[in-house]
Amino acid sequence: MEIILLVVFAFSLFYLSMAERFRTYTALIALQGLLLFGLACFRLREMNVANLVFLVTETLLFKAIAVPFLMYRILNRIQVNRVHPDALPGFYALLLTMAGLLLSIFITRRLDGQLIERTFMLIAMLALFTGVILIITHRRIFSHLVGFLVIENAVFLFSLAVGMDAPYLVNIGVLLDIVVSILILGLFMGRIGTRYSDMETDNLADLKH
Amino acid sequence: MLLIYFGITILLLTGMLLFRRRKVITILMLAFLLNQSGLTAIIWLNPGIVQMKYFVFDPLASLFLSLLTVISFTTVIHGLINLRSDSTRRYQYYQMALTGLIASITAATLANHLTVVWIFVEATTLCVSVLIYHEKNRLTLEAVWKYIFVCSVGIAIAYFGILFLGLGLRENAGFDLTFREMALILGDTNPLYLKIAFLFVLVGYSTKIELFPMHTAGVDANSVAQPQVSAFISTAMVNLGFVAFYRVYLVFSQTQIAGWMNHILILTGILSILTAAGYMLKARHAKRMFAYSTLEIMGLMAIALGFGPSAHPAALMILIVHTLIKSGLFYQLSQFFRTWHSYKIKETGNYFALNPHGGLVLMAGSMLILAIPPSGLFLPEWMVFVSLAGAGQWLVLCTVLALLGFIVYGFSTRMLHLLFSRPIEGRLEASENQTNWYEITIQWVLLAVASLLCFYQPPFLLALIHAAIQPF
Repeated sequence: MEIILLVVFAFSLFYLSMAERFRTYTALIALQGLLLFGLACFRLREMNVANLVFLVTETLLFKAIAVPFLMYRILNRIQVNRVHPDALPGFYALLLTMAGLLLSIFITRRLDGQLIERTFMLIAMLALFTGVILIITHRRIFSHLVGFLVIENAVFLFSLAVGMDAPYLVNIGVLLDIVVSILILGLFMGRIGTRYSDMETDNLADLKH
Repeated sequence: MLLIYFGITILLLTGMLLFRRRKVITILMLAFLLNQSGLTAIIWLNPGIVQMKYFVFDPLASLFLSLLTVISFTTVIHGLINLRSDSTRRYQYYQMALTGLIASITAATLANHLTVVWIFVEATTLCVSVLIYHEKNRLTLEAVWKYIFVCSVGIAIAYFGILFLGLGLRENAGFDLTFREMALILGDTNPLYLKIAFLFVLVGYSTKIELFPMHTAGVDANSVAQPQVSAFISTAMVNLGFVAFYRVYLVFSQTQIAGWMNHILILTGILSILTAAGYMLKARHAKRMFAYSTLEIMGLMAIALGFGPSAHPAALMILIVHTLIKSGLFYQLSQFFRTWHSYKIKETGNYFALNPHGGLVLMAGSMLILAIPPSGLFLPEWMVFVSLAGAGQWLVLCTVLALLGFIVYGFSTRMLHLLFSRPIEGRLEASENQTNWYEITIQWVLLAVASLLCFYQPPFLLALIHAAIQPF
């Protein structure tokens, strides 16, 4: 079951790299939250109950519901629904993501460990590359926000691989999720979204002048 | 002892939150400085003890905590002068964020556990964001957004490195990520795990060390923050990034990836200096230029680290002297700004005539930061060059020297313009001489100590540096 969820997660990353509508991004982030919820349930089922309940609640309530809800609110406010016309076309972004997959396979094949752990690692690294590609190849700030959320999901996914051996590593990953996401989304909601209504990074270049 | 420090800090922060009177907030801030000094004294008097399981009073922590305490004092004093016209509410947020930042840096410097260090480094990002956003205008919003975004990505990447390490160590039942424990068990770990973990930790913490590739966070923050905050970010925060990274480096240096790690550090150092040189030749903003100067010096520090244990004392000396000089320079920029109301190089100039005392500080500081004798930076940088030549690393040496040539040219021509030439774009009117003797005295003391270290390194300091570079 874990493998199936991981494969679906990988497909969500490929779709994310090709997508051009911000609402699709939001839906995919919600889907990833649900997949992480499922993975946490299966992977950490032998963990003590209090810890498990905390993690499951975080993935379901925070990642799958609260974050996408905030993203929808931002989209409604800014009224910008597509990536920038000059952003890298979806086909090339997909090729880059495929290259990221090949690099992840190359690295994880050289690591020891059980198949399932290496699969977690593989998908987490793919998610990291996808997040970085989104940030680098897109020009609208909202795409960067999505790239960051994908990187956070990668960290959480990776922490599940070591979760049974060192549960505190997963808890700290959750801490990162909550604190930084609230900070970034909060700043976005409160200030950036209203001041920079066209949401292009070109407008965030005053410091260099 | 540490519990008392944290307890008092929380009480003082609560006091600052509840009492919205400027005088009370100032008194509470000064009380916090006493608390900070007390902790520093205790650490010197009780070397080597472990507190609250996750904190240790080791030589590395003693050294950098002492520097932090000195810089905290000078930053608070400059803040009191620069924030005189601020509203009480802004003043309150500023002092609370600064208190939180100093306490977070203290905790991260003392932490002996990889994840505890990481948590407090994350906490510094939040506090610095409040300090950067102090002016609440379009520029500070842009800077704070970039700072939070780049640092958050950096923090996530560093955590990826920690997870890789955790995965590599999982076969050691009940493994612990304290540095001492890791040093004992890392030897048998698959080197690929270690290499990947090292790369992620280096890239992640480069946001704080102001080192290539994620140096931009610090540069943007320095451009718009209050000068005393820029001084703090460029020194205390950079030192924190170094301590966080260096503890990992010391653990990894006892494994089979030590040589590979040093190559990566030398490459990172060269790329940092290259980036700094590129900016210096087209610098238009005095504070950004100083920020890129930090990138250059951290590049040299990385090269010294990468050269192996024999050059590590030079790396630490570079950090100590850089802290003294760069803070003095940034503090002086606050007086410069009160004269010109701008940091743009073309719009300003003639500072020596307008404010001779301040101009002299700026001139002396510029010479010292360029490692021109009697700068305390001269000896450690010379040691790095001699080590490179001795090891036959001629290509690296020539590349670094050529890039430093560009940096010296770019930096000094712009400083000469600021000091002695008339503004090229004469749109601004200079204000009257804004000399403040408290500020000037502090700046001269910082620069004088940095100069003194060129001729005389106190034995206790050398002993501390040598103790600080010992592996676990």
